[in-house]
Amino acid sequence: MAAEEGQVVSVHTVDAWNEQLQKGNDTKKLMVVDFTASWCGPCRFIAPFLSELAKKLPNVIFLKVDVDELKSVAQDWAVEAMPTFMFVKEGKIVDKVVGAKKDELQQTVAKHVATASA
Amino acid sequence: MAVSGFEGFEKRLELHFFGDDPKNVGLGLRLLDFESLDEDVLQAVQCTVVSAVANHYFDAYVLSESSLFVYPTKIIIKTCGTTQLLKSVAPLLRHASSLGLTLTSCRYTRGNFIFPGAQPFPHDTFQNEVVYLEDSLPHSLCYRKASVMPSKIPLALVARVLRFHRSDVVSLQRGPGDGKSGDTAGKEMTEITGIGEINPGALICDFAFDPCGYSMNGIDGDRHSTIHVTPEDGFSYASFECVGHEVWTRVAGALEPLGMKCRSCALDEFPAAGNVAYQTFTARRK
Repeated sequence: MAAEEGQVVSVHTVDAWNEQLQKGNDTKKLMVVDFTASWCGPCRFIAPFLSELAKKLPNVIFLKVDVDELKSVAQDWAVEAMPTFMFVKEGKIVDKVVGAKKDELQQTVAKHVATASA
Repeated sequence: MAVSGFEGFEKRLELHFFGDDPKNVGLGLRLLDFESLDEDVLQAVQCTVVSAVANHYFDAYVLSESSLFVYPTKIIIKTCGTTQLLKSVAPLLRHASSLGLTLTSCRYTRGNFIFPGAQPFPHDTFQNEVVYLEDSLPHSLCYRKASVMPSKIPLALVARVLRFHRSDVVSLQRGPGDGKSGDTAGKEMTEITGIGEINPGALICDFAFDPCGYSMNGIDGDRHSTIHVTPEDGFSYASFECVGHEVWTRVAGALEPLGMKCRSCALDEFPAAGNVAYQTFTARRK
């Protein structure tokens, strides 16, 4: 079991980002990317909830991207509000949750985990 | 022996600050950590965060009782029910001061409560509210004014606020035990009511309470908007607040066809704080 499983992995460089995307492609696992910012209060509100979710779902890859640190990625992915959660499967965005919304986040994860194992 | 129901009318508090180093305020109040905000401020008021969103200009929270907006040098809290909003002033000032921010202005406003007898101290009387607020503020604030506006609307507000009553806010009632989450049901209501079209450029953070009640915050660049509806039969209440006249006139225009009629308009001037406009809409008599 990789050390990263069950955790929200912070991605600090574009190289690391590409590497994670590749890993998502190879393993065909669901990826949940949290676009966050250090100055965003709502992001701090949802962070503990996201960590709990990651703990419960070791088969889902949880990533955290700081929009100031990886500006180009945030721009490419058209992130305008924080937090934005992108759901990625095999390189494709399959869903998106904008805002710190616990129920919606949990339900969207459940929806895609269900289709992945079906 | 009056029957008490849910108090929809919000209390609204707006605090403005300036930094010790005005050129370098940066994130200001947004640096306040969430734990402090939640445990010191919101707990004192007696409400919690249900959902939230931010952009480069400000943070917007939907609360269990209305809304909270945090800008670098401005904070706006609106709460309904029997919340004790004025209890947030002291902890907010303490936290702001630790961030090097000093209070420059404070505005507290509210409408006439539907169930005034249910309000706890200091909201039990207008007099107590004024005294409590004065005691919470630093003596350096020199222009002070407390006023009761005509049309049964005490106090005043800086943004343009529209208030309307409707007993048939049917689309904002959730079906009993619909099994939907507050986020999902809220999204549906935003769509059904056309609220999402008031300002198509705004991002909406919405929530529907169980069994009833709807709240939304809109964020559009550096401007916020917020709508709260408590559709209880017999004492329904709805409020709309936004920054900027264009959007406001669009909402006013949308209300008349719904059978709403503008009943009163009140304007008041506050020294060094601008003007305040209140309009009350009621259902047109059949």
